[in-house]
Amino acid sequence: MATYVEAGHASDYTNLSDVVGKAPAVTKKLNYKRILKAREAEPHNWITYYGGYDGQRYSLLDQINAGNVKSLTPAWVFQAGTVGMQSGAGTYSMEASPIVVDGVMYLTGYDGWVWALDARTGQELWRYKHASPYDISLCCGNVNRGCAVAEGKVFVTTLNAHVLALDAQTGNVVWDQVYGDVRAGESATVAPLVVKDMVIVGSSGGEFGVRGHADAFKIEDGERVWRCYMVPKPGEPGSETWPTEGEAWQRGGGNCWTTPTFDPDLNRLYFNTGNPCPDFDGAVREGDNLFTDSVVAVDPDTGQILDHYQYTPHDVWDYDSTMENILFDLDGQKLSAHFDKNGYLFILDRTDCSLVRVVPFVDRITWGEIDANGKVTAKVYPDKEGDPVHFWPGPAGAKEWTHAAYSPKTELLYAPVQDIGATATRRRREFKESIPYWGAGVAVDGEDVAGSISAFDPRTGQERWRWRHDYPMCASVLATAGDLVFAGEPSGRFNALNASTGEQLWQFQCGSGHHSSPSTYSVDGRQYVVVPTGWGGWVEGFLPAMLSARAGSAVFAFALPE
Amino acid sequence: MSPTAAKATRMADEPGLAKQNGTTIGRVFGSGNIVHAEEDSDGRMHATIRINEDELIFDPSILILPHGGTIDLDLYNDDKNTHCAVFPSNGHMQFIWMVNSSHGTATLELDGPGQYWYGSTTGNDEGRGLTGSIVVSGDTPPEAKLDRPPQPQP
Repeated sequence: MATYVEAGHASDYTNLSDVVGKAPAVTKKLNYKRILKAREAEPHNWITYYGGYDGQRYSLLDQINAGNVKSLTPAWVFQAGTVGMQSGAGTYSMEASPIVVDGVMYLTGYDGWVWALDARTGQELWRYKHASPYDISLCCGNVNRGCAVAEGKVFVTTLNAHVLALDAQTGNVVWDQVYGDVRAGESATVAPLVVKDMVIVGSSGGEFGVRGHADAFKIEDGERVWRCYMVPKPGEPGSETWPTEGEAWQRGGGNCWTTPTFDPDLNRLYFNTGNPCPDFDGAVREGDNLFTDSVVAVDPDTGQILDHYQYTPHDVWDYDSTMENILFDLDGQKLSAHFDKNGYLFILDRTDCSLVRVVPFVDRITWGEIDANGKVTAKVYPDKEGDPVHFWPGPAGAKEWTHAAYSPKTELLYAPVQDIGATATRRRREFKESIPYWGAGVAVDGEDVAGSISAFDPRTGQERWRWRHDYPMCASVLATAGDLVFAGEPSGRFNALNASTGEQLWQFQCGSGHHSSPSTYSVDGRQYVVVPTGWGGWVEGFLPAMLSARAGSAVFAFALPE
Repeated sequence: MSPTAAKATRMADEPGLAKQNGTTIGRVFGSGNIVHAEEDSDGRMHATIRINEDELIFDPSILILPHGGTIDLDLYNDDKNTHCAVFPSNGHMQFIWMVNSSHGTATLELDGPGQYWYGSTTGNDEGRGLTGSIVVSGDTPPEAKLDRPPQPQP
């Protein structure tokens, strides 16, 4: 019989690193009242996903400005890396928007990683790693878009559709709730939003024939408050837009996989819903297919749908409307702005989701037309079985999920624009749970593509300037009171543009492409601009010409020299 | 039967795949044993995993759990070389260094359902064959399921 040496008990892998293990208690007194006034009362922080409930992705910080940005240099870099095998191994990407509270950064990565960092130095304070099944259904890569913080907790969703509350000082789990069915093809990538005493999340899985939903849980103990389905059951409002017979509504999509915006005065959450399913085979789901491809105003206290506006009725191009609805007031009007995948910028009256203005924001739109009154006329779409159809924009859209920004200072909207088409060939298939349910073969253009950062006047819809690029622009932009717009490129370059003119003022090569949301903050009086980099996700869908571009998993923080 | 199907061979029957320095240099993934974890009356699970001499595999290569939760592992390195193991576990991956002829333990917390990897992250142990699976059986809790009738399955 062999004599064994005692190897002991396996321990946390984190112990074999320089992780500190604890973060300062900066979020303990961070409550709803503080979040309401976050941008104005504490501009040194970036407290919610968009930097504010309104989704403007705008900061009042102006230490870094158009006059001195040319001196911007890296202050620190955080490298995430990988260990062993991970889900969607070829698709991992950094897609988060870093949250910063009083010098502590809370960040998520791919494959269940959550980190707390010293926002001044990049020192890793604690880490959490959720064990993600290798075989989880992921339509669009191994990604996560960020976390929320409040009352001493960090909230994050996991690939296998859990929502977790972590202790903000240690990273230890406080509560854990399952809110999606991985056997049905559901997953979760959304950055949660704290509203009142709740944390709000939404589901992913629109390419697998699920029924999209948003969910609310108590931040204290994870108790479920409500679930709101974005595809109605027969007899519910909106069900008249689905076939009266059959199962189409059961697999109708309409997922909420990016963070909603919130108007506390109107007490409305503005959810952004995804494509109907199957994506390209509309004949099995005749009708407008509410509430897919819509902004859906929801009562945060009850989860009841109050209003909606559908950007692409009866979508057969995979035109999710999950990108943000930016809330802003102009000339006494309460408005929202939304750049849709379908290539149109919609300005709505957010009190009732009625249309104020709609204009195209990309050069090539061939799928159809939306007139000034919002009337939609479809022109080119996959219809006959086996017949290839080419259309612009492709399924990644003229703007992907990555976010636009609004500057109250310039009164301009800034959008990352993708000018790229695709060919879809309808191929009907029967539905089987957990199997992709597209109803077409799709090839996105590898040539003849373009992109830009474009600035629009929301009063008129007119384009005020355009910073052109050879490739589609696939990352969120950030606007600041320093008269700057920050935008990352697929190539890895990170740019600062003049917010009034679009002139390029600064550039830094981060080494891997951008598909995330930069944010800004200050610590001890020094302003930083931070951007996660790491090219990946659904690249074959939004830029196949860069499918083999350099991968990576870093976070860069920039500041002016001390 | 198609020509392709007619040529198909089961992994275990194909010579040189389930051994070191056979057809492949190492051993093809998942070509070892499959074992079900045992469950205690309180739902806690346990199993034994061994690294066999000169095989560079975890035995079992696939460990099946009846459900998510806590599992205690007994680990033996019966090989004449040093290896390690990095296991998935909610919160932090679990690591143990295992010199020749050593015994250790590990406790893992896993959700269900799905397939999770584990491996020896030293040299190219993982590529040679020291990559295993922990398969968590079961279903999503009822409160998280979609409100819809049962759907067709693959």
